[in-house]
Amino acid sequence: MDVVLQAIAFVFQWQNLAALAGGTIYGIIIGVLPGLGPSAGMALALPLVIKWDPATALIFMGALYKCSNYGGSITAILVNTPGDASNAATILDGHPMCQLGRGGVALGLSATSAMVGGTIGMVCLISSAPFLADFALRFGPAEYFLTAMLALSLIAAVVQGATIKGLVAAGLGLLLSTVGFDVITGELRYTLGWAPIEDGVPLIQALVGLFAVTQALVLAESGESISRLARLSGGFWEGVRTYFRYPASIVRASLIGLFVGVLPAVGQSSAGLLAWADARRASKHPDTFGKGDPEGVLASETATNACMPGDLVCTIALGIPGSVGAAIFLGVMIIFGIIPGPLVFTEKADVIYSLFVALVLTSFVVFIIGMTVGRRLAVVTLLPNEVIVPLILVVSLLGSFAIRNAMPDVMISLAFGALGYVMLKGGFTPIPLLLGLVLGEMVETNYHRALMISGGSYSIFYSSIISKILILLTVLSLAGPYLGSFWKTLTQGEK
Amino acid sequence: MSRALGIFFIVAAAGLLTTPASGADFPSKPVKIIVTAGAGGGEDTEARAIAPYLEKHLGTQVIIENQPGAGGKIAFEKFQKAEPDGYSLITYTFPKSVIIEYQGKTNYRTADYTPVFAWSRSSQLLVVHGDTWKTFGEFLKAAKEKPLSGGLSGRGSTTHLMGLIALDELGIKVNWVPYEGSAGSVTALAGKHLDFTICLATSAVSLIQAGKLRPLLLFSDKRDPHLPDVPVPKDLGFDMTYIPTLRGVEAPPNTPAAIVKILENAFSKAVQEPGFIEVAKKRKMVLQSVSSKEFGKAVADIYPKIAKLQEMLKN
Repeated sequence: MDVVLQAIAFVFQWQNLAALAGGTIYGIIIGVLPGLGPSAGMALALPLVIKWDPATALIFMGALYKCSNYGGSITAILVNTPGDASNAATILDGHPMCQLGRGGVALGLSATSAMVGGTIGMVCLISSAPFLADFALRFGPAEYFLTAMLALSLIAAVVQGATIKGLVAAGLGLLLSTVGFDVITGELRYTLGWAPIEDGVPLIQALVGLFAVTQALVLAESGESISRLARLSGGFWEGVRTYFRYPASIVRASLIGLFVGVLPAVGQSSAGLLAWADARRASKHPDTFGKGDPEGVLASETATNACMPGDLVCTIALGIPGSVGAAIFLGVMIIFGIIPGPLVFTEKADVIYSLFVALVLTSFVVFIIGMTVGRRLAVVTLLPNEVIVPLILVVSLLGSFAIRNAMPDVMISLAFGALGYVMLKGGFTPIPLLLGLVLGEMVETNYHRALMISGGSYSIFYSSIISKILILLTVLSLAGPYLGSFWKTLTQGEK
Repeated sequence: MSRALGIFFIVAAAGLLTTPASGADFPSKPVKIIVTAGAGGGEDTEARAIAPYLEKHLGTQVIIENQPGAGGKIAFEKFQKAEPDGYSLITYTFPKSVIIEYQGKTNYRTADYTPVFAWSRSSQLLVVHGDTWKTFGEFLKAAKEKPLSGGLSGRGSTTHLMGLIALDELGIKVNWVPYEGSAGSVTALAGKHLDFTICLATSAVSLIQAGKLRPLLLFSDKRDPHLPDVPVPKDLGFDMTYIPTLRGVEAPPNTPAAIVKILENAFSKAVQEPGFIEVAKKRKMVLQSVSSKEFGKAVADIYPKIAKLQEMLKN
């Protein structure tokens, strides 16, 4: 307990508060720019902080890493361009809310999500990091395969209402996920000799195309503005109030985010998507999801913000990074002489707990920044389309280029933009496609790995307790909609 | 007359600008180091750590540019056609580029590049879970009884090639399980889903220190100063070839020797700066200066080795 009190005193020294605020603002700016994610942001900031006191430098980096996600949600909501892959699901309801003139409310929701989701995640990280890390280690290839299957079963809920079109999109997503270097056999698949897709279809570039470029095309069809009403209704505080109206969804989304974050081999982009799909399934009015339902924004953003502390669990407690961003944060820690691992909690307790306290505080700083600055950005949606369309195209394609400094990536974004446009006109939703694209590789490679370890015996898929629970959950998830009222009572309580 | 003279001067000036062969005025503008992976990885961190000291000894600005994609292949192909003026250099974990050449058709050849300097060398480590075998002898006995499952940081990677060499020499069979990068295989080992993994020491150092994982063998001809207790094959009476990995920089094909000399000098001084040595120590890097000539020899030597191993990979 002493160490936590000392850490609080340390964080409240002026230079650490300045580092915290600086990192937060820098992180939000990095997040707003598509193509510049937390990874690039941290690498660019390294020369600046390298001479600082290690704990202060880590506070700056931690704040940057944690807040870029909020920055990404701003562009996702306002102009349909995800700042980073983790904001993919925020677009689904955040932007439609904007079109209804409720952009300010959506921004209030996302800022509150950053505060609540981030705090819940941090509390779990602080209280039980070593325990959570041990839990994560119990997930082997078989468990990862089953987790991905459980996630894929959510597609069933997403496509409800337009089953055939939804399954076509999901299948397309799964097919696209097979493009590139096959990790298991070492072969290149479906690349047509084109090097830019040898690593697989690049996710952020595809997202930029599927959402931002498609959006620009749609907007270009009419001479109005994003907000179809000429004025904005509802503000930031309405978003905050709306947020707390859904306590059950907040808890579910936080848990999903934390779970996805803690598992090192599940990408951060899945957290928001899975929470969104789960919220839709649990909702009494799934039809409004994707059309500007505040609960969709809440679920997606709360999950992604809870995901980041989860991501740090294995990074700090085991020295194993859970994502690309975490890998870079790990590198930064090592440069400052803090070697993450099971021993770090005793050997460098002062630095680690200062970092944790600062990250909790960051959640609130984000909220304050969102309250003062973020909400004023909603006026962007009142700009006429002649102005906003070129702006979206320039910023998003520039971002797509900046990720690898490669022109072919812009082509990929444009191709996905065309695909998105065709899908939209044909009445398809891009969400199942995204789920397939994000989860396909995880299903495939872990299936192979499990069988390689077991020597071909399928018993590996149901031998552990975790496997059995995952199988049960998957069956329930698939059969749920057919269980009718019994299921409704079970999941949503008596009505 | 004066006009002719003017033209003469312009031509002469243009000539000066386009003939860097003498190297007399090198460097007169910023030097760019291309990293073949994303920001923040090992290659990137080392490049960024050395850059400020290189700036000091080169007397010009050093810019780091990340060109990730296809394991570095995109960057390698672009680099093959880069201007050989010493202003663009490439850094990567050798022999990654040679392995990519053997995996498919490429529009570059590592042998064409001009080696400049390498600063660190690392060797592969055989690691098991802390609850299992205590010595390499125990491990070998178990491996001969039934095939064990071994994690790889990637199919066809240096860890895979080293694993194949070891199997061949030790006469054991293994179920190889490929991952993307060593984080995956190390995690799976820590959770006891695998029996062992082969990785670089830096990937597992914190779990080794905490006693969760145990290193049993270092694939090198001499011990690692950071892991003095871990035996090398020679200590146990085995004779193996090794795939040592180097981190360094190369210049585009046909870079003039005078320019390479200037760069090599600057790098060799930069790696002796206490600030860089400090970072290297924290990252558990084994610093070892490899000159342009030695680097060139390492490149020439690796081709036949990897060619032979690629044959084994197909089986």
